Amino acid sequence: MNTINESQSDPAEELKQRLALLRDSARQYAGNAAHLKRARALRGTRPGHDAVVWREMAALGWTGTMLPEQYGGTGLGCAEMATICEALGRSLLPEPVTAAAVLAGGAILYGDNEALKAKLLPALASGDLLPSLAWREDTHATTILAVAARAEASASGVRLSGAKRLIVGGAGADGFVVSAQQHGGLALYWVPLAAVGPRLVFHDLPDGRPAADLELDGIEVPAANRIAGPGVAELALARAYDEALIMTAAELHGLSTRTLEITTEYLRTRVQFGKPIGSFQALQHQAANLYIQHRLCQHALQEVVTLLQQPGVDENVRGALASRIKARCADASLRITRTAVQMHGAMGFADECDVGMYLRRAVTLAAWLGGADVHRRRYARLALTEIAA
Amino acid sequence: MQDWNAMHDDDFRMEVRRFIEQNYPEHLRFLTNRPPFQVIKPWLMKLAEKGWSAPHWPVEYGGMGLSPRKLLIYMDEQGRWGVARQFLGEAGTVQLGPMLISHGTPEQKKNLLPKILTYENIWCQGYSEPNAGSDLASLSMEARLEDDSFVLNGRKIWTSSGLDSTHIYLLARSDKQARKKQQGISFLLVDLAAPGVTVRGIKNISGTTEYCEITFDNVRIPISNMVGELHQGWTVSRSLMGFERINTGSPRRAEFAFKRLEALARERGLFKDAGFVDRYTELALDLADLKAVFVHFADMLCRGETLDADLSVLQLLSAETNQRITEFLLETSGELGLTVTESDSDGRVDALQPFLVMRAVTIGAGTSEIHRDIIAKRVLKLPS
Ligand SMILES: Cc1cc2nc3c(=O)[nH]c(=O)nc-3n(C[C@H](O)[C@H](O)[C@H](O)COP(=O)(O)OP(=O)(O)OC[C@H]3O[C@@H](n4cnc5c(N)ncnc54)[C@H](O)[C@@H]3O)c2cc1C
Repeated sequence: MNTINESQSDPAEELKQRLALLRDSARQYAGNAAHLKRARALRGTRPGHDAVVWREMAALGWTGTMLPEQYGGTGLGCAEMATICEALGRSLLPEPVTAAAVLAGGAILYGDNEALKAKLLPALASGDLLPSLAWREDTHATTILAVAARAEASASGVRLSGAKRLIVGGAGADGFVVSAQQHGGLALYWVPLAAVGPRLVFHDLPDGRPAADLELDGIEVPAANRIAGPGVAELALARAYDEALIMTAAELHGLSTRTLEITTEYLRTRVQFGKPIGSFQALQHQAANLYIQHRLCQHALQEVVTLLQQPGVDENVRGALASRIKARCADASLRITRTAVQMHGAMGFADECDVGMYLRRAVTLAAWLGGADVHRRRYARLALTEIAA
Repeated sequence: MQDWNAMHDDDFRMEVRRFIEQNYPEHLRFLTNRPPFQVIKPWLMKLAEKGWSAPHWPVEYGGMGLSPRKLLIYMDEQGRWGVARQFLGEAGTVQLGPMLISHGTPEQKKNLLPKILTYENIWCQGYSEPNAGSDLASLSMEARLEDDSFVLNGRKIWTSSGLDSTHIYLLARSDKQARKKQQGISFLLVDLAAPGVTVRGIKNISGTTEYCEITFDNVRIPISNMVGELHQGWTVSRSLMGFERINTGSPRRAEFAFKRLEALARERGLFKDAGFVDRYTELALDLADLKAVFVHFADMLCRGETLDADLSVLQLLSAETNQRITEFLLETSGELGLTVTESDSDGRVDALQPFLVMRAVTIGAGTSEIHRDIIAKRVLKLPS
């Protein structure tokens, strides 16, 4: 993104101020205690989120943050979006912002079908459309480019075959971005909900939100629904994936931060042996360790999004940064939420206690799009030359 | 009556093995959670019919009267076949029985023990209160002595299997003036059907309702429902000496979880992956060495020695090995593991439930922090 270079204005300083403003407004909206109650009540339901809130978020600009202005977005970067995602993570908002706006939206945006972009992206930005990316299949693949589903020319356009799994946000989706192999390589297709029919099956994720499995066999779409063809599709998917990894890391960081606040508050107020339990050094040191993890994530995340704010970042560099931050935040959030449960004692093991919800969301997001182990390996491949060679 | 202890070890082992293999329900093998009473009941009834409900109780009270050595064989065979190592509703045979045997009146033994063995009475343990967890001795539930009854008022919480139980044994404050907080507490037996008792289930993090909150509102019980001396309940509750004390330290649940890890690794072809094999082996060794520690404490019991504060080593190792295994299981199951649930019948490995359930093992049987405190202060004698 280009900032006008006035002599007194420092772009880094400007970004900082913009982020502070965004953070305040995002926290103000998402921090409303009603959201956590809502997230609790929506567990195990379909679609698992609230369409009204989705529209409110769109009105705040959150579904179009990273979309260029020509598509109704605000044309901001990873740093701004991460700030928003962090706020969403803090309050466990169930709306699939990362899945729809960053992952699916990114796949559409980085494709090369202008007509589709002009139709779908403004609707995403305005909250009228909730797209989902159907990429995962029932394999143990650790890369988003491992696709076996097929797209073949048919009388009326393109016929898809294969099956997709674990589509986050899929229960409330208005349409799917589907990856499939076609003659010449990987392609992405837009499959509106109407073309899907009864081929969706839902499962609960550990955090109580639904994920969908999609049977592709028999689905037909017009050839014009191709979002990206061979060559472009790989690049589009890889970029959307990396950006979604970073936003997931930001959500994880947000939820860990909030968990740490809730837990230190509990340490101050829960009394055993005539003292607040936070006065016991065993717990103080554990809390200090968690805080250190929190700071690691905070600064690493800041560095990653700042680096990606530059134009023209190399694809491998971007991938390595995304994997690095996903691995870090996944590990830290699991450690923080597990310890939070421990520090709450039997209360922490109860469903009615919020830290359990934080743990379950951490488990879900830590694994989604690949866990820490997957991303450490990817980092090694992309960035550690000794290993990559 | 069969004298099991007179049998040759191998014969005894085969007899136990045969019985388990013939009677233990296939679908309950190698569980990582504590099955609810209603689920495990058919097996318990088989044990009861055979007279095997309480292997560790003396024969005169209806137990098998096993020597520690035979008891180890018995436990070993259960583990081999994947018999649930703990279940909800076991407090009667594991905890209350032995306490009644050492502290109960002849009437209490005669009236209560047989019904424990047949599961006609199912007991739960009412120690913890909202404000008395790790600091149990600060409990405040009131037991007011009025003529020849106690009047109970207060609240117990986190009571395992409270909804399945018919009775509760609990600690309540009978003397508020006592100088030390461990004094002035009595050990009481209460029928949960008594007027004034309310049981509310509490759902846990894994989605099941196994523990409860129980409120007592002017509940009246006869003084004959007291175990041990008046105001001496703390001593009764601390009196478990034998195998009951190493129950929660058994490596069996960790072994069951480890089996799941193996199944997952086979399914995914992970034994070819050096990174996986390294961590897998680390856990395999943790488990092997945990067993060595368990055997050490079991041998102490076999020699008739008393267990002391040192036992916290076993409790900690067992609980934390369980957690490490289930954490790695969850991590390894990755993204696709997210939607696998216990009910999946296609053989896929559920990693989430074991992970969540094992969150409690470092809390429920005394927290890890408290066990470390015990080691530091009572074993290493570090200054307070
Ligand atoms: C699954 C489950 C089943 C249970 N079943 C029963 C049952 O059947 N009957 C029953 O009576 N109880 C039961 N309990 C309750 C159990 O005994 C208590 O959870 C336990 O004693 C801890 O108390 P608490 O939960 O109140 O935690 P707290 O004592 O409030 O502890 C909170 C945190 O503070 C830490 N802490 C406390 N004191 C210290 C200290 N001095 N130094 C360092 N850290 C400290 C703890 O380690 C913990 O991390 C069960 C609990 C669970 C989780």
